[in-house]
Amino acid sequence: MQFRRVLGLLPLALLFVAWALAVEFKVYPQVLLPPPAKVAMVFIDDWETVLGNALASITRVIIGISMAFLFAVPLGLMIGRYQLLDTMTDWSIQIFRSIPPIALIPLALLFLGIGDKPAIALIFLAGTWPLLINTIFGVRNIERTLIKVARAARASEFLVMKDIILPAALPTIFTGLRLAVGGGWLTVVTAEMIAVKSGLGYMILNAQLTFRSDLIIAGIVVIGGIGLLADQAVRRVRAHVCRWQEGLTASPE
Amino acid sequence: MSKFLECIGVGKIYPGKTEPVEALRGIDFACGAGDFLCLLGRSGCGKSTLLQMVAGLERPTAGQIVVADRELDGPSTATSIVFQDHGLFPWMTVQKNVEFNMKARGTKAAARLAVARRFLDMTSLTAFANRYPHELSGGMRQRVGIARALTTDPKALLMDEPFGALDAQTRAKLQDELLQIWAKQRTTVLFVTHSIDEALLLADRILVFTPRPGRIAADVKVDLPRPRAPQSAEFSVLARELRGLVGADREID
Repeated sequence: MQFRRVLGLLPLALLFVAWALAVEFKVYPQVLLPPPAKVAMVFIDDWETVLGNALASITRVIIGISMAFLFAVPLGLMIGRYQLLDTMTDWSIQIFRSIPPIALIPLALLFLGIGDKPAIALIFLAGTWPLLINTIFGVRNIERTLIKVARAARASEFLVMKDIILPAALPTIFTGLRLAVGGGWLTVVTAEMIAVKSGLGYMILNAQLTFRSDLIIAGIVVIGGIGLLADQAVRRVRAHVCRWQEGLTASPE
Repeated sequence: MSKFLECIGVGKIYPGKTEPVEALRGIDFACGAGDFLCLLGRSGCGKSTLLQMVAGLERPTAGQIVVADRELDGPSTATSIVFQDHGLFPWMTVQKNVEFNMKARGTKAAARLAVARRFLDMTSLTAFANRYPHELSGGMRQRVGIARALTTDPKALLMDEPFGALDAQTRAKLQDELLQIWAKQRTTVLFVTHSIDEALLLADRILVFTPRPGRIAADVKVDLPRPRAPQSAEFSVLARELRGLVGADREID
């Protein structure tokens, strides 16, 4: 099983070979395309820079996505449950979610200045829409009989929310969380290129200004690696929280 | 025998997409405490609608329903409902599912545990208390539904084609078990079915419905001693009579 997963790295391995060959046959000057060994050296010589900036980016995403989760999930549960709220918000949500967070960078800078605040605000926005839409969708798809069972048992609205609506929507909420984490990670790198003076996005943009293409490539490798790990982490948590789904769905996803 | 349930001129009209649809008209009957009453008719004759109204899940558009001496204005604590698609919560273990109706009424955890054990035992589910619904067979799932319905000590069990989705053997077994439970608990049972044989096997009394709008075509007393044998002459005579009343149809077995 694990071996099969590793097979998924094949395209990446081919790219690596192409890179090594391109360096070997001097297709590009070394300043532009450093050899793999030189990029690997970044993790030894400049590990503090890479680690510090990576931690800055990760922290921003965790804060921004946590805020989005705490905001969007309860709101989504309410909108999914109460038709009136849905009618009052549907079009606005559809409009907001079509605006890429990056388009809001200028506004975020004007209102929040340079620093963590605009970056976190943009990650929050990037995470809110997928979480909100998936939560609403999850609530909508509850089997009608289950709601009838609760009504016939005269369950309180609170119990219905806690014991029925939330657990029923949880699998799709996690789908939303995966999208949110992915979107948040994309957003943080972009936002850091403009709005903050730290983080992986800032690091690789800065490396371009100092002709450090080895640091750029190392930064990209780290961005990709963390993206993969974050996605796997959310999947693990989901598999654990939604254990009851095992054997219910056709595939693990 | 005291009256437990009374329907007085009950009718139901749904708004419908183009024009109103009349599902039930002029339903009048009373049912004594401890009776086993079957509502028999083809699909679409409104018998399930009537059951949902007695359960307080839908409101009649005409007439009134009196349950345990009170006019119904929502689900009554005197009744419990069992659905054809059992309405089990897939994220709860069998134990938690059985406890749900009690939890909805605010019963303390320790008391819930004890009562749930008793009914799990009665329905031979003790060994499966910690399993999830999807790990059980259809017959076992419906036993969980029945166990859950019994935990609140209802005066009446409302059953909406509870064995409709089961294979013949499992169905026969559960019918038998239901009769045993009924004999033991002395609850009133209101049982919706489209099967003439099932109605004759179970009921003291059968209300036969005609479709569109649903009306009571006949009120048939079944005086056969239990356990009943579908091969017996009296059984066949009654079955033929009912077949004529229902209006023979391939849907009816």
